[in-house]
Amino acid sequence: MAGQTGMVDPAIFQGLQARVDEDTALRDELRDLVQALEKNNRNISFVLSRAHSTPVADLAGVLQSAEEPIQDAVKTVSNLSETASKQSYYKFNNMWSRQMQDVVYGILLWAWLGGKDLDGGEAKCGRLLTIEEVGEVLKVPVNLKDRDAFHLTIEEYLIALTTLCEDLTRLARNAVTLGDYERPLLINQFVKDVHAGFQILNLKNDILRRKSDGLKYRVKDVEDVVYDLSLRNLLPKKEQK
Amino acid sequence: MGTGKQEQQAATPYMSMFEGFRNELDEHHDRRERIIKASRDITAASKKIIFTLQRVRKLGQPVPQFVVKGNAQYWEIIENRYQSISPEVQGLGAYRYERNVTGGNQEFMEALSFQHYLETQTLIPYNDAASRIASMSGEGGAVNLTPEDYILGVFDMVGELMRFSITAMATSGELPAGKAKKAESTKQEAVEDQADDKMDVDEQATSSSHAEKPRNVLDDLRELRLQLEIFETPPGTKFESDVKKKMDVMRECVDKVEKALYGLTVRGSERPKGWVPDLRDERPAEVESY
Repeated sequence: MAGQTGMVDPAIFQGLQARVDEDTALRDELRDLVQALEKNNRNISFVLSRAHSTPVADLAGVLQSAEEPIQDAVKTVSNLSETASKQSYYKFNNMWSRQMQDVVYGILLWAWLGGKDLDGGEAKCGRLLTIEEVGEVLKVPVNLKDRDAFHLTIEEYLIALTTLCEDLTRLARNAVTLGDYERPLLINQFVKDVHAGFQILNLKNDILRRKSDGLKYRVKDVEDVVYDLSLRNLLPKKEQK
Repeated sequence: MGTGKQEQQAATPYMSMFEGFRNELDEHHDRRERIIKASRDITAASKKIIFTLQRVRKLGQPVPQFVVKGNAQYWEIIENRYQSISPEVQGLGAYRYERNVTGGNQEFMEALSFQHYLETQTLIPYNDAASRIASMSGEGGAVNLTPEDYILGVFDMVGELMRFSITAMATSGELPAGKAKKAESTKQEAVEDQADDKMDVDEQATSSSHAEKPRNVLDDLRELRLQLEIFETPPGTKFESDVKKKMDVMRECVDKVEKALYGLTVRGSERPKGWVPDLRDERPAEVESY
């Protein structure tokens, strides 16, 4: 086909096909990286899930062994960032948004459990990494506005934060099982603070809204744990001060 | 009890962080809403342009004055809306709000390509369409017309060509065609004829003495159909499913024109003046046929 024979210049569709095919090739490349990140995330959560059955005293070991899979994920994210930056960020971001949420969740949990501030001693729970700090761990920019490149979005961070609250709710119960009556209080306060934060957001009817709506049930779940403990006079006394 | 309660009142450590997020998200939602509104306006104005264009009866010449005058206000609306959103859909925003712009873009593509076809009897090239929108976007920078917007708009334009053909056949008794071609285009017509032959729905009336005749709308529709059918869409994308949906409609439109032309050829002389073929579903109504 050469030249215009009738209504349609064949070059039009040839050109468009070339452009679309280029996108497809990039999409294939990205898909592989996203799958790799998914695998990294599974490894992180495999290690960190041991936190549910590990007393705080021994938590440092778990957190240390989480560092390697986290570093693997950071590497994958930087590969992803490089490849994704061949195109406008939002063109394909739905391909990796889910996996980015998961890796941020992994990092948030690791840091909350004390992984960010390990200095040979006992792990100290309760720290929430800001989006900027997560960006530093992941070595990617966050909430970019002035230039078009790969970054971590606010939405991804917030969704990961709701997932963190869900997992901490589970941890509150499991801590009690381990005989730890202190962390449920810490978690209670934390989940409440996060919930209060979400309350001031004007959310649209999207995934973030649904995840945020679920937070109030997590608040209640943890309150129930604290209630059970206080009813039986099991709460640590020093908290009274 | 209530140990944590008092502390909560005093310390809400993440509030300022969330306030920052709130501002960002509000800004984003406001921007998105403005873009959605503009896109809807563009869609509505484009539809009105198309309505007026459907009153044109001649191919291959500038649209009549009543169309130009009648549509001027809608072109103005479209230009105005493109200008209003163009600063927001640059850089990062281009694809962030792409799904909010695409509706307006597609509908405008439909109007633009329809008018272009009526005037030139050719399909407007992608680059021309994109730069047309760019020139309407003003100083804020071009609103991006994606290849996907273009193709989906062209799919919809087939429906307009169908409507145009049927109306023309009903009112004038013949399928609109371009002016007779110059000598050089005769052999090109022959190439196109071969392409037509590959399709089993051949039109006896036009194919025999085709080489001398100018292209008519059905020739163009078939060519367009061929191009749209061989286009490969990326698997697993929204674009693919959009195309799939529109493909069936597009084929049906071409079929309708073929059927109408068949009817015109077979019963042309018996046809009462002003008789209009059914534009809707062509399946016979079961009850009435008995």
